Amino acid sequence: MRRAALACGLIAGLAIAAASSAAALSTVGKPAPDFVLRGLDGRNIRLSEFRGQVVLVNFWSRSDGDSRQQMPALDRINITYQRAGLVVIGVSVDEDLRRSKEFATAMAVSYPILFDTGTDIGKDYFIQKMPMTILVDRSGVVRYSAVGFRRGDERVYLDHIRELLRE
Amino acid sequence: MNLKYRILSIAACAVLLSAGLAVGQTAPPAQGAPASDTPAPPADAQPAPPAPAPDAPPPELKTLDQEVQGLKKDVVDLNKDLFVLQEELLFPANTQVALYISMDVGTFFALDSVTVKIDNKEVKNYLYTAREADALLKGGVQQIYLGNLKVGKHELVAFFTGKGPVERDYKRGATINFDKGVGAKYLELKITDRVPKHQPEFMIKDWE
Repeated sequence: MRRAALACGLIAGLAIAAASSAAALSTVGKPAPDFVLRGLDGRNIRLSEFRGQVVLVNFWSRSDGDSRQQMPALDRINITYQRAGLVVIGVSVDEDLRRSKEFATAMAVSYPILFDTGTDIGKDYFIQKMPMTILVDRSGVVRYSAVGFRRGDERVYLDHIRELLRE
Repeated sequence: MNLKYRILSIAACAVLLSAGLAVGQTAPPAQGAPASDTPAPPADAQPAPPAPAPDAPPPELKTLDQEVQGLKKDVVDLNKDLFVLQEELLFPANTQVALYISMDVGTFFALDSVTVKIDNKEVKNYLYTAREADALLKGGVQQIYLGNLKVGKHELVAFFTGKGPVERDYKRGATINFDKGVGAKYLELKITDRVPKHQPEFMIKDWE
């Protein structure tokens, strides 16, 4: 009986420790780490230059199925909400730059696609799984972060986007 | 948060005040208006007590505004002190090397990125956005690198990448060998136009 209680306590402790470390490894509530990356059109884009606008940053990988599914949904969001002050930025974290560019060109999304070529963005944003979507408010603070993508997730993004656009 | 509410309340009060003034204000009478429009005061009328100026804010608003301005100034001062302290601690004058970049005219070169190597070790790689390049063209000077170096001889190489004449990809380098003394060292990367050759020119200036 005592052993079982001890085991339960240990498991609960581990779960709490894991949850707290996950929370500590999130950028939500903190200023968004700044980055400057080269875009598909050759222009460089710096995140902090969009201060005053709501920014959705989507980290994606060509080899990830969820990323491929997510991009058209984000494109629709960008087309609808860009006039309201939303900026959507896609960041490819693929190592193969050439193939990643080919893929981005084929997707032909309306928002800028940037390419991470060996910077520390992955560490700064604690990227562990693709795709990763974050929302940055007008003052440059990360307000929402989501990992992975399932159909219907775009409705959750929209709720957060509308809320941030109203602020 | 408190400060934000205070600022908001001040702004709201200011808007209400200005709206009230706009409504209360009457147009001045025209020069040729008949005298009967403005009734003459009776001869035995007592002088009215001095009324407060119509555009002066209430005293409590004024003090609140002064308080906010004072707080803002304190924050700026603290930030400045912190910056100076940080610089003195992390980059003491006897080892400090500061590198600046400036751009003049820029007709023959559109800056995209700069890579800096000191003693064959890459210390900085900076990508420029259109806005940053524009700021340099308007006369801005950017501190691109601040670091520490030992006293002695050093070599600095800077690579400039961008679009050259006729929108061609352009990459050029500039090198300087310098002596780091006991004081801080200031170097400037200068991009200028060499008009006779229709080419950009890249120089590194040592500010003694």
